[in-house]
Amino acid sequence: MSLAQQDIQFDEILSRYRSDPFDYVDIHAVHAGQVRFLVEEGSEVEGVSGEWKHIPGTGLFEITRERNAKVITSKTNGVVSSLNKELDGEFVEAGTKLLTIKHPLKKKEIIESILQEVLYILPAPERARYYFSMDVQSRINQKGARSVVVQHGDEIITMSLMKRDTPVYYTGEPGIIHSVYFKPGDSVDQGAPLMGVCPEEKLPLIRKIITRVKAEWE
Amino acid sequence: MTGKISLSPRFLDSYRRGETFRSFFKEQPDRVFERVMRYGAPVGCRIEVHDQLPRCMDLLREQVAAVGPEQPPLAGGTVILAGKLTGGNGRFDREWFAPPGGVWLALAWADTLLPEYGRLLPLAVGSACCQAVRSCGVEAHVKWVNDIHVAGRKIGGILCETFTGGAAADRYHLIGIGINANNIDFPPDLQATATSMHAVLGRPVDLDGFARRLLAFLSYHLGLVHYCEELELRRGPDERGARQENLVVGTWRRFSDTLGRRVMYGYDVVRDPRYRAVAVDIDSSGALVLQPADGCRLVENSGEILYLDSP
Repeated sequence: MSLAQQDIQFDEILSRYRSDPFDYVDIHAVHAGQVRFLVEEGSEVEGVSGEWKHIPGTGLFEITRERNAKVITSKTNGVVSSLNKELDGEFVEAGTKLLTIKHPLKKKEIIESILQEVLYILPAPERARYYFSMDVQSRINQKGARSVVVQHGDEIITMSLMKRDTPVYYTGEPGIIHSVYFKPGDSVDQGAPLMGVCPEEKLPLIRKIITRVKAEWE
Repeated sequence: MTGKISLSPRFLDSYRRGETFRSFFKEQPDRVFERVMRYGAPVGCRIEVHDQLPRCMDLLREQVAAVGPEQPPLAGGTVILAGKLTGGNGRFDREWFAPPGGVWLALAWADTLLPEYGRLLPLAVGSACCQAVRSCGVEAHVKWVNDIHVAGRKIGGILCETFTGGAAADRYHLIGIGINANNIDFPPDLQATATSMHAVLGRPVDLDGFARRLLAFLSYHLGLVHYCEELELRRGPDERGARQENLVVGTWRRFSDTLGRRVMYGYDVVRDPRYRAVAVDIDSSGALVLQPADGCRLVENSGEILYLDSP
């Protein structure tokens, strides 16, 4: 793909965010059970907060299975933009879409969203604590993450779960560690991005994205 | 004291099948006990005993990695024992003092469990070590996740890692265990925080017998994790994951003195303590539920704790 083509795509992406600077977060049933909504369409909701992100967000719905009721809370702030009212009080299957939260994006989030379309993203395999492998951490300490090149098969991160350490191997194309989305020792949810890797030839495009969004976004 | 242990798979198997070992699980029906022990039977199917090693885990890792394309994988349940370790270490960069007289071993366990059950292995190993120590008359407890201590002094430590190696990229849980059995002299910086079975009992323990017993308890408790997985898979899809007491977690509760204690939590609690809280519960996945002073609840699935109070 030429830089010109990338520019066209980038303009499209940017105009998309400009016309609708929101993220629409669909919330699904975490498991089968009877659902009771705790919010209405148009309700404002808060995300998790606190020093350790330990204060739960607004309760969205309660789901009950085998007399075990579980309250599902919002992880992000925003407004409930749609809600399947007809499911209130009904038994639903796991994965059923229940509501959508319209989350206003900040400039930093827009940059990250665009970058995540361009970078190779390494997601967290399980909800666990993560830290860089000793070799990668030492290279980051010496030169900074954006000077560290990773290759397919490199042991880059250690996942620590229940005092059991599991190495995580890099499986993407070679590149530099451009974005790190966790602090070593932090708890990261399954599927959340751990880091984004950028092939060196894409670096000019990445820099351009960041510069343009910073310059043009109000 | 040479500390050299003499133990063979046949000797271990004979003990596991005997009445003495069965008597530790009187509450367990024969049908369940046999099923559990069948799952745990590979423990000690191959046993290597060395006078000394830098680390048992390193040698085990080398053996996993050395398997060539035409060779069978390393037998799950392989155990490496050493009379002393010259380069023992704990988590992070902490040193582990492993002189003659202790039981220092590493076990390779094939990674065949579903992830939600694999994460219970560290708890199960903690229960096994604690029960083995208690079976010799030492009133040990488990501190979450799996530190073994007697009245606040550490008597045993466990390391768990996942390792993939060999031509076929076989994946194993590598379990390192150190128990202070007959070693009674500790370096000055450990004298206030460590103890041994010999120090507690006032006499040495039969090291061969203890190592055999430890492996037999590991068979049971690792087997219990597989048995729990079997029970879960037997249940219908609609019932799976429902909140109910897990046998592995329930067993761990019996050996632990963590719940109800005031603790300091941290990922590396020695170097970077994060917050104080009361340990209020352990959930079905083995995660610790902590309640800081502001009354909120935090669920920690990794990290470590220090006790701030007396039991």
